[in-house]
Amino acid sequence: MEGEKAVVALLLQALVTGLLMGGVYAAYSSGFSLIFGVMNIVNIFHGELIMIGAFTTYWLFTLYHVDPFLTLPVSILSASLLGYVIQRFLINRVVEAPPMMSYLCTFGIHLILANLALLAWSADFRTVTTSYSGEGFSVGPITVPLARLATFGIAIVTTFAIYWFLEKNRHGKAIRAASQDKEMARLVGIDIRKVYALTFALGAGITGMAGGLISTYFVIYPQMGLPYTITAFCVVVLGGMGYIPGALVGGLLLGIIQSLTATYLTSGLSVAITFILLFIILILKPQGIMGRGAVE
Amino acid sequence: MRSKHVIWLFIFMLLLLFPLLKPQGYYFRMFSMMFLWMGLSSAWNITSGFAGYIDFGAVAYFGIGNYATALLMTKAGLPFTSSVLISGILSSFIAMFIGRYTMRLRGAYFGIATLAFAEAVKQIVFEFDRTFKVTLFEGSHGITLPIVHDDRFFYYIFLGILFFIVLTAFLIDRNKFGYALKAIKEAEGSAELAGVNTRRYKVASYALSASLIGILGGVNAYWLTYISPLDVFSVIHTIHMIVMALFGGIGTVFGPVLGACVISLANELIGAKLLYTYLLMLGAILLVVVLFLPRGVIGLISMKRSRR
Repeated sequence: MEGEKAVVALLLQALVTGLLMGGVYAAYSSGFSLIFGVMNIVNIFHGELIMIGAFTTYWLFTLYHVDPFLTLPVSILSASLLGYVIQRFLINRVVEAPPMMSYLCTFGIHLILANLALLAWSADFRTVTTSYSGEGFSVGPITVPLARLATFGIAIVTTFAIYWFLEKNRHGKAIRAASQDKEMARLVGIDIRKVYALTFALGAGITGMAGGLISTYFVIYPQMGLPYTITAFCVVVLGGMGYIPGALVGGLLLGIIQSLTATYLTSGLSVAITFILLFIILILKPQGIMGRGAVE
Repeated sequence: MRSKHVIWLFIFMLLLLFPLLKPQGYYFRMFSMMFLWMGLSSAWNITSGFAGYIDFGAVAYFGIGNYATALLMTKAGLPFTSSVLISGILSSFIAMFIGRYTMRLRGAYFGIATLAFAEAVKQIVFEFDRTFKVTLFEGSHGITLPIVHDDRFFYYIFLGILFFIVLTAFLIDRNKFGYALKAIKEAEGSAELAGVNTRRYKVASYALSASLIGILGGVNAYWLTYISPLDVFSVIHTIHMIVMALFGGIGTVFGPVLGACVISLANELIGAKLLYTYLLMLGAILLVVVLFLPRGVIGLISMKRSRR
């Protein structure tokens, strides 16, 4: 009887951990999906936007003792400013060129940002440890960490906010129009370049916010970006490229599967499992599990 | 056009004769390193340059070649040459399987899928022994190979493989296979409509690149005598192949050779001492080439020529 209870508790804990981890994945992947959906650009410096958001929170917390959650607006601002400038002055030049050029461009930016950060901040691992770090509450035998629960909530809210913005808001509709038919949008007086820069700033902003949240429970360091980019890509492929709610579904699914394998198999193979999952999806359902994504 | 090829052949002859000058071991090692990189970026260029499928995970096959050769030599006791050849064949089989599915993705999707593949292979090699309680890949301990103190031997092996790879690229560039790859790069849909079996050609090019990279990886393992997953699967190797080929001229036969020559020299001079600055520089080169010189240095040279 006791043994059975422990088995159930272990499973429930794995599911809860996975669900919350999935929320984290979703939080930092929806910006990737947005930028892809509108501009058809796979942004390889996506992870660096997370890193910038995380370091903004870290420095404000370490130097001025600002509560990490209060630093989030600054993280949003710094990442979206960076995204806006890069889009305006670099990516806009190659957005009409062959797609190969645009992602080689983002790859170059990835190298530059990551290594500038390394030169400025060194390769040290850093953490943001607050008085409430590691705190959580228990439901029966299961513990729920507070910071991740907050991230989970924020991920859901932002996903729906963006979805609402794209569907209902005037600017959001301009973004959607631009992504569906560039020429037509131009004809009705939408400034495509402005729309692109706005979209990039928006996508970068929510990514930077996710970075700020992540810094409260994961170690951060200048080279952290690339693995995040890979995971974001897998999450977005799982849910369907360019379909915003897909990032949420893909994130939760990946989180649960990784948590289950970590509990019952090994925690060392997370990237391998992510890739195998990606590979299976590519074979069986290239438009994502919801069947709503773009196939290229 | 002819004179260009004569120059390349002349350089090759000089390199063949170079050991007669009895240079110091350092020069042998430096040239071997440069030949390795020229070979890697030329092999990478067959898929990424000719067919336009930019492979961000090419290091996977480099690492597979390293490990296959190391395991065949130390655990199976096979001689060096057959180990390296088997490594090449193994790489191409793995690439056929992976390429069959990942090449359904176009452009950057293919890029990141291959990046994820390389990271996954690295992790599997790193964690396999610990996870399944066996002794195979030796995880973070790495594998030590029999030591050979013969710089000239490796100089000629790397030079020979480089010659073979460049010759392969040269022949592909001007036969049906190459035309099919270029058609895929320019307009895959139209190529398919015109009756080109695009999937067969692009997967074949991917497998060819992989086998050449795997062979170079195998020689690398024997040359370095010690390999570990974090070294031979490092994403920096992929970055190098990309930047070298792009800098010299992606999709051309000699561009990657030229780019690899310049950048591997730069790596030798500043990469070891100032790694971050060096990588920053690679990023800047990449941006400049993408924004201003999409055809690389070779493109610049031929543009000047045609203006004359």
